[in-house]
Amino acid sequence: MKKTFAATVALTALSGTTALAHYGMIIPNDPMISQEDGRSVQLEMSFSHPFELLGMELVEPVSFTVTHAGETTDLLGDLTAAQIMGQPGYTLDYPLERPGTYVFAMEPQPYWEPAEDSYIVHYTKTYVSAFDDDEGWDTELGLRTEIVPLSKPFGLWEGNVFQGTVMLEGEPVPYAEVEVEYYNEDGEASVPSELMITQTVKADANGVFTYAAPTDGWWGFAALNTAPETMAFEGEEKAVELGAVIWVEFEEWDD
Amino acid sequence: MRRLFAALAVVAFATAAQAHNLNVFAFVEDGTVVVETKFSTGKIPVSGEVRVLNAASEVVLTLPLQEDGTVRFPLDPDAASGGLTIEVMTGEGHDDYWILTPEDIANGSES
Repeated sequence: MKKTFAATVALTALSGTTALAHYGMIIPNDPMISQEDGRSVQLEMSFSHPFELLGMELVEPVSFTVTHAGETTDLLGDLTAAQIMGQPGYTLDYPLERPGTYVFAMEPQPYWEPAEDSYIVHYTKTYVSAFDDDEGWDTELGLRTEIVPLSKPFGLWEGNVFQGTVMLEGEPVPYAEVEVEYYNEDGEASVPSELMITQTVKADANGVFTYAAPTDGWWGFAALNTAPETMAFEGEEKAVELGAVIWVEFEEWDD
Repeated sequence: MRRLFAALAVVAFATAAQAHNLNVFAFVEDGTVVVETKFSTGKIPVSGEVRVLNAASEVVLTLPLQEDGTVRFPLDPDAASGGLTIEVMTGEGHDDYWILTPEDIANGSES
């Protein structure tokens, strides 16, 4: 399953093209914090191409929040600047005071992507369970666009499917396109074709998509839509891509 | 998370009745230890037994669980100096525990 990253680099170099998908990232040290793990969770926030491990600068987000038991708290002022994948990002050590599911969410600044001639705004989130209590695992935050989990977004085995509903402006998005990419954290995974760096699935008529992860680790799901409004770049109006990103960890099956 | 597997395996071996569908949480507030319990379904157990053990694993207190799934008792600083383990038994296969560490107790006493 996991080959060498060198093969990927060679493949990319030979083809002369890249297949890079942008991902906002919120990666906790563990999505299931037990009482033996301590009383806090450590998070890393970045903007990258996660399979190729190519970092980009994550400028200070518009917002960074945590939602627990129906209450949302602003954490923007608590972020600590850090280098992640060689580029500016942020970390956070967040104390978990109560059991239940904590949903961390980030709205980034619009990112100008010249190659796509558009702005990119990826609303990014991840779910962390504290102290063996999963209440709130299906929380919908009410973001402008988001993936609402139908599978519990932690405690999944490798090979399990992850299902979610793509929402935009509070409504499911029929046949939404969802890009899926593996966070190649140790650089050991490779692909036989560029087409497999970022895989794509479509939602059904109800906005529900399904993906089975072939291996353990963190997987990012990004549902992409185009905003009705435009933004100016050097005096010219440009399209805005709205991304709903969720990061889910699949656990190794160890029998 | 993986450390939990090891911990649970030890506890399960020791008690032979460890189940995962009861969740216990405890904290210190204004000199009182507050114990909360809940099944993984979200339901609240209406009865059960609560045992409080000191750092030497000696039972220092036994209390009935209240109908709202909680129990409260005054913090004894001497008994709690090395931390407390709170075990809750609500029936066959419905047991769980929470460890109040000295840090938990100190943090609760400061609030």
